[in-house]
Amino acid sequence: MADSTLFPVTVVGSWPRSTELVRALRKKEEGEITLAEFNAVADGEVLATIKAQEEAGVDIISDGEQRRDNFYSFAVDKLSGMQLMKVSELLNYSKDRARMEEVLRALDVPAFAIKSPIVVDTIGKRQGLAVDELAFMKEHTDRPVKVPLPGPYMLTRSSWFEGLSDKVYPTPEDLAKDVVAILREEIVTLRDQGAAFIQLDEPILSQVVFGEESTETFMCAALPNRRDPTEELEMAVRLMNETTEGISGIKTGVHICRGNWSRREDVLLSGNYGPMLPYLMQMNIDQLVLECATPRAGEMEVFKEYANEKEIGLGVVNPRTDEIEPPQQIVDRVKELLQYFDPEKIYLNPDCGFGTFAERNVNTSEIAAKKLKAMSEAAAILRAEYA
Amino acid sequence: MTLERDLNGLPREKLAEVLASFKDPEVFNAVTGPWKSRIVWQDGMRAKAFMRNHVVEMDEPGDLTATDVAASAHEQLLSAIGSCMTVGFVVNATQKGVKIYDLEVAVEGYFDNIRKWAGVEDQGNPGYGRISAKCFVRADADEPTLREIWRLAVEGSPVTQSVINPTAVTTDFEMVG
Repeated sequence: MADSTLFPVTVVGSWPRSTELVRALRKKEEGEITLAEFNAVADGEVLATIKAQEEAGVDIISDGEQRRDNFYSFAVDKLSGMQLMKVSELLNYSKDRARMEEVLRALDVPAFAIKSPIVVDTIGKRQGLAVDELAFMKEHTDRPVKVPLPGPYMLTRSSWFEGLSDKVYPTPEDLAKDVVAILREEIVTLRDQGAAFIQLDEPILSQVVFGEESTETFMCAALPNRRDPTEELEMAVRLMNETTEGISGIKTGVHICRGNWSRREDVLLSGNYGPMLPYLMQMNIDQLVLECATPRAGEMEVFKEYANEKEIGLGVVNPRTDEIEPPQQIVDRVKELLQYFDPEKIYLNPDCGFGTFAERNVNTSEIAAKKLKAMSEAAAILRAEYA
Repeated sequence: MTLERDLNGLPREKLAEVLASFKDPEVFNAVTGPWKSRIVWQDGMRAKAFMRNHVVEMDEPGDLTATDVAASAHEQLLSAIGSCMTVGFVVNATQKGVKIYDLEVAVEGYFDNIRKWAGVEDQGNPGYGRISAKCFVRADADEPTLREIWRLAVEGSPVTQSVINPTAVTTDFEMVG
């Protein structure tokens, strides 16, 4: 249905985690419960997430990333050669601890609360990254399923840490070859198993472009070693294209946002898509899944010179606020983009997930559901007008 | 004898015994002091502090013309305050049977008048005029319980209380050779 219905409503991925689920997740990490015991809890939560999305009228749904600690750290469970490390552990290896401390102070977070999957050995596939998640979804819903995966640039940059990873992969580029191979195989498998949409998450690109020392986020632990933004963006384009090259029969997208770890707007990144679009448009993917509801994302006018070049997954609700966006406000935002993109090129989604990090829900499931409902109502208005 | 370290890396039962023994005057006298440290100048602003069989290096930041090979004494004071609070937190939590998963204390301080240290002013207090400490903890207990443990850790911290309360520091001097 996705392509035959205008303005499909979808999600970016994550859904708020219940206290029970977070407890079970920690117990699994501590080895206090088995994976099967954890899944018994998570299965129920995924079913509730499916129901909430279906009832809200979402056309392309996700499993809410309920089985994941966060959108990229879950890779440690699925790949060999990786270890989930806290920033408090990485401080032992960092060459610039003073800078990491500055970031921790700015964010007012403990070093133990931020975790990154760090490559400590040659990486290999232990099991599919999201094959189990998709299989469960296919058993329990008839709606098309979106599967978010960490993008190749983010997975490479967030997991390569000097002093730990360089013993196996001398440079991030060396690691990227294996990351790309794993992601390619995963996308093909997920396609063959019936996924409708693969979303590759690359939110750290906004940190590359807009981040300053005071706004480092540790979304990517390795970024204190970052290089020139242009070099990083070029690397992101190259890795994305190597990942998706020659793969057809599945919709692909890249998700970019400016951070989703806090409800405090002042600690999140700001800037329009202008500096990024020349690079994003070079990516061999169908859709740009973008944060656009917040004023921090800038004006729609930056899309003018890229009219209809790709589909846009337009962020129309802010996942971090209690206010439910009125459907007409969403319609008006979509109409701004309709100046440059045809109706069949536009999907509606929230700016980001509602619980990017398992322990830092940015909203409740009740409010999340209401926001999705508002999006569906807006889509109905738009379909009536543009059908 | 190997102690069973059954909670937070500590032998809970034995710890309770040890703490209770502080009521004994003999034990009390032994743990009261003297606690000792010998600081030996190395070169430039570098020094080594020898404490029982342990050694800690100290230096000063490079922008003070020092070599910055180790943290400075004033930073180590902050660390000592935070470490002492940390120990107190763990001891109190363990006594209450609370399992700690993660614990971090972030400490920072501002000098009152560092110009006096630099010798460009005669007046004022060159020491810290204010110090703050924030505890982050993930543990198996509710928030009121953990706040109470934190209160006990702060109020019972020998290092913190040495800073908070006026402490008599006597000095002596001897020229050798």
